[in-house]
Amino acid sequence: MSISTEAGAPAGKAWKSKEEFLGCVMLTDWILLVVLFAVVLGSFHIHYMLLAGDWDFWIDFKDRRMWPTVAPIVAMCFAAAVQSFLWQKFRLPIGATVACLALLTGEWINRYDNFWGWTFFPINLVFPSALIPMGFWLDVVLMMSGSWLVTALVGSMGWGLLFYPINWPVLAQYHQSAEIDGVLLTLADLIGFNYVRTGTPEYIRMVERGTLRTFGKDVVPVAAFFSSFISMLIYFLWWKIGTWFTNTKYIEVDDI
Amino acid sequence: MSLTTEKAAGSVRAAESDTIVNYWPAYWTMICLFVFYVTIRIYEQYFGWKAGLDSFAPEFQTYWLNLMWTELPLEFIAFCGIGGYLWKTRDRNIDAVTPREEMRRLLTLIGWLAIYAFTVYWGASYFTEQDGTWHQTVIRDTDFTPSHILEFYLSYPIYIIAGWGAFMYARTRIPQFANKISLPFLLFFAGPFMIFPNIGLNEWGHTFWFMEELFTAPLHWGFVFFGWFALAVFGTACQVLDRVIELSKEYEKDALSL
Repeated sequence: MSISTEAGAPAGKAWKSKEEFLGCVMLTDWILLVVLFAVVLGSFHIHYMLLAGDWDFWIDFKDRRMWPTVAPIVAMCFAAAVQSFLWQKFRLPIGATVACLALLTGEWINRYDNFWGWTFFPINLVFPSALIPMGFWLDVVLMMSGSWLVTALVGSMGWGLLFYPINWPVLAQYHQSAEIDGVLLTLADLIGFNYVRTGTPEYIRMVERGTLRTFGKDVVPVAAFFSSFISMLIYFLWWKIGTWFTNTKYIEVDDI
Repeated sequence: MSLTTEKAAGSVRAAESDTIVNYWPAYWTMICLFVFYVTIRIYEQYFGWKAGLDSFAPEFQTYWLNLMWTELPLEFIAFCGIGGYLWKTRDRNIDAVTPREEMRRLLTLIGWLAIYAFTVYWGASYFTEQDGTWHQTVIRDTDFTPSHILEFYLSYPIYIIAGWGAFMYARTRIPQFANKISLPFLLFFAGPFMIFPNIGLNEWGHTFWFMEELFTAPLHWGFVFFGWFALAVFGTACQVLDRVIELSKEYEKDALSL
């Protein structure tokens, strides 16, 4: 397959006047931004819901072990890819925040309109995980350092470690203990048991797995630290994937 | 009408026809799609519960399967019609296109991309996650559930048609995309398109297992893989912008001063 970069035809007079050009550029820039936002939203959302969705959908899946491990790692993919594009092509250190904002927009619309509006789950069972402060952090590190290597190491570490604390203000109340019919459980569990789903059976729920509970009360920091480590690797990989998707190559018609 | 008035009217028409950017067709398309999706969502709200729980019931046939057997042929016709029209009316002397006309077509392409992005949102985000909550709530007894009939067989084909239209518009009217195949544009269209055939794998798998106990089941990961290719919008946007910049060299300083 031969691949070349298009040089294009010689530039001529495309515009009648400077005013026409400037007006058009301003409008078209905004439309392109909306295009990018909507595509990132759709693509990131299908990725996130099918790789980390169960832990994000339900309050009784938001445990101390799997949720803080899986969610940041999966979310890092698109944060890194969008950051790669916006930083390398436009020097805009907003990629991770934009990606998180796009995802959260899609999720909140869905949780209200469909989870609550169609299948009647209460919002406090189905609200999505907070991610935007992690996006801020990743973007600030990139902006301050100007280096994707530093961002991969320092930014990704903070990305994984921040996840549980930023969600804790909302989550804490649901981790209050309750005793129901002699069984000790959290309020989150109780809400979940009251809204039976196909994911309700305890053998399906991937939470707090482990036989000896080796780390006791320290499960969250260990999970967050592990998540940070994998997020670093994911950042490297997905920065490059984002770069690859930014390519402007052309293929000869005869080659396909 | 006097000759002077006719001349004036003619010059106004000429000036109007020389408008370089007109996003209103794209805006109206998106408005119509929005109204359509809201309408279908209201239909789903009502008939999902009323007639969508038992695929063996006669009302399921009436309210859901009839909808599917209506939408699928219409989508196929729309796909062929849009592609056929754009091909039939292609610019057969594309290397002679003037810079102004090329710019106009590039901006029209951005309108097409806006429609594509809009439909990608509805398909990949709205209706896909909606499917998750339906199947967590209602045990399926068919592949053609109410949420699937609107997700797989309506919203996905609609974004495929929009992407196909954008791709074919570029292929038939814009020199840089007509003379060679843009790799990112091809991926931007073909990747999300492949999500549709992947439904075959998905539904085949579901004939063995319910799987909806976990939305993150590996059976669903094919959708994820092909969804990644939508990121090729980055390269596509860069190619369009590269050419816009090239055609606007004389105003480079003005653009930078914005």
